[in-house]
Amino acid sequence: MGLPSTDRGAGTSVAGSEKRHPVEFTADTGEYFRIWIVNLALTIATLGIYSAWAKVRKRRYFYGHTRIDGESFEYRAKPVAILKGRLIAVAAIAVFYGVGYVAPLYQWLLWIPLLIGGPWLLVRSLAFNAYNTAYRNVRFRFEGTYKACLKVVLVYGWLVLFGILYPYFKHRLIRFVAENHRYGTTRFEVADFKKPFIGAYANAYGLGFVMIAALFGLGFAAMGTKFPLLFFGGVVLFYGGLFLLFAYLRARTTNAIWNAVRIGPLTFESALRARDMIWLYFSNLLAIAFTLGLATPWAVVRAMRYRASKTTVVASGPLDGFAQAEAQQVSVAGEEVAELFDIDIAL
Amino acid sequence: VIEFEAAYYDGRTSARKPVHVRGYTLVIQIVGEGLRLDVPLGKVHVDPPVGGTRRALHLPDGAQLQTDDHAAVEALFPRAHALEGWVHGLERRWPYALAALVFAAAFAWWSAVDGLPRAAKIAAGFVPATAEAKLGEQTLSFFEGKVCRPSALGAARQQALQRRFATLTAGLADGYSYRLLPRDCRGVGANALALPGGAIVITDALVKLAQSDDQISAVLAHELGHVRYRHGLRMALQAAGLAALAAALFGDATSITSLATTLPTALLQSGYSRELETEADDYAFQRLREIGLSPKAFAEIMLLLEKAHEKKSGGESKDYFSTHPATAKRIQRALSAP
Repeated sequence: MGLPSTDRGAGTSVAGSEKRHPVEFTADTGEYFRIWIVNLALTIATLGIYSAWAKVRKRRYFYGHTRIDGESFEYRAKPVAILKGRLIAVAAIAVFYGVGYVAPLYQWLLWIPLLIGGPWLLVRSLAFNAYNTAYRNVRFRFEGTYKACLKVVLVYGWLVLFGILYPYFKHRLIRFVAENHRYGTTRFEVADFKKPFIGAYANAYGLGFVMIAALFGLGFAAMGTKFPLLFFGGVVLFYGGLFLLFAYLRARTTNAIWNAVRIGPLTFESALRARDMIWLYFSNLLAIAFTLGLATPWAVVRAMRYRASKTTVVASGPLDGFAQAEAQQVSVAGEEVAELFDIDIAL
Repeated sequence: VIEFEAAYYDGRTSARKPVHVRGYTLVIQIVGEGLRLDVPLGKVHVDPPVGGTRRALHLPDGAQLQTDDHAAVEALFPRAHALEGWVHGLERRWPYALAALVFAAAFAWWSAVDGLPRAAKIAAGFVPATAEAKLGEQTLSFFEGKVCRPSALGAARQQALQRRFATLTAGLADGYSYRLLPRDCRGVGANALALPGGAIVITDALVKLAQSDDQISAVLAHELGHVRYRHGLRMALQAAGLAALAAALFGDATSITSLATTLPTALLQSGYSRELETEADDYAFQRLREIGLSPKAFAEIMLLLEKAHEKKSGGESKDYFSTHPATAKRIQRALSAP
């Protein structure tokens, strides 16, 4: 075994025998519970200031316990950077509501910077997260530019107006996100995943339509019976249905995306099953609700363990030939603002 | 000398090299195949420990060592990370975790019982009356048509009620536009409801249950108290605050989590709290006196409502009693009101 292969080794390694590396998740529920509750208490005791440290510690715990080929991931963000981002985010929200209170007529004007700034937040947040994730001491990176992101939003964003075309926009956006990631200097290549991705949405739309029709049917059938029973039954069915579709979509779209990604000699197999996900989310929801939140650590560890257990990395070349890119600093404000506004940037 | 096994990464590629590390007082020596490095201890940055995860030692020029030998790393860098080292110590032991649990639970309890109502009261002071009225309109439009139909009472009866209501609200001049809305609401039973902004709904069932119109005035006066003290708005703000708090505390996991934590909070928050009821009661007693009625009428109607509630054993309906629990104490207070 000599020194690592050269910079060019990654993309062009010789196709030998394929090696399969199941993703391992080795977190311990009891240990994570202690980390979670101690950090929660400290966050309360410091009126939220410690939350930045809490976030980094929790993430480092999960990254450290996610392993491929026996090697773990690293989360390298500095808590102070995250704290700064949170303060900026809070200030931005305060300005938004402050203007709404002082001059409600002009509040709509603030939506313009928000709309233009949205893609910027997304790009910043992705760059921050990628830059602070490392595997085998090689950092990930996100090289998507604001301009490119804005273009995707402007060119395909109007599809959102036609609800049924929304999946196509989402697919373009995810493609933009995935394609602009790098592991070291190695690009993420993304094969066409339009068909399974949009297919999943088509199924979900169809199912949703059937469920709404069934709800209406039930409503007519139950006409004249006692109101509260009917009402609560309807609400439960409605949310249950949404839940079902959410879990189904999560499983199918995640599979569609990851099965299309290639990083140099690596491809991925994601085999999440919709019925497993439905049961997982449903049981987690019940557990968290009935323990008043105390089961959160258990639920999170369980969900991540399932996700890992269904993901395999298929390597047609060695894992040690990836080259590091030159250093560059990425600011954190984007990520924090995006997180507070809850933009879904899960890949 | 502290010795341990580690993996070395040079910072340029993802290649892993098994190495043997010797730590001295001022320097660490890294030895592996074709590699021999001496790094001053002061130039090594070690990550704070988190659970049992692998330790990373960052070397100059972006190189790195990773090891599972926690004891060796602790011995080499005993004073690295005062804060996070201390936190790590807490995280490792169950007694501390349980203490943290008790603390967090106590805080959650305090926020729900005392902190949030207080904050909501302060925040309500900043909400303009127009916004409050809008909240009331929205709530009303939810009930109208779907749950409640216009009252089936005779026109003369309705007029009498409106006159009573006018007497009650005469000269209040508190900026609210009071309206009495008699309604026939299915499955709701005998109930009255104050909406933010001044609309007060009274069900036909309640009108029929009352033995005198003074008793109806008593219920309406109580509802006026809810409007004047902005209880609807305060409850809405409180619920929003609770949701925000739950999201801040538990929302780091998945979007499912936040949904799960708002579910029980929503269940907890049906009806006004006892404090708000007392506040509205006190206002009712005062107002009834002002217009020359006795607070005893309030005690009478509460007793009637209690009886009506008990008679229907299959308590599925949302009657006044289920949202306004009439404790013996409340009745006592009405009887002994000045």
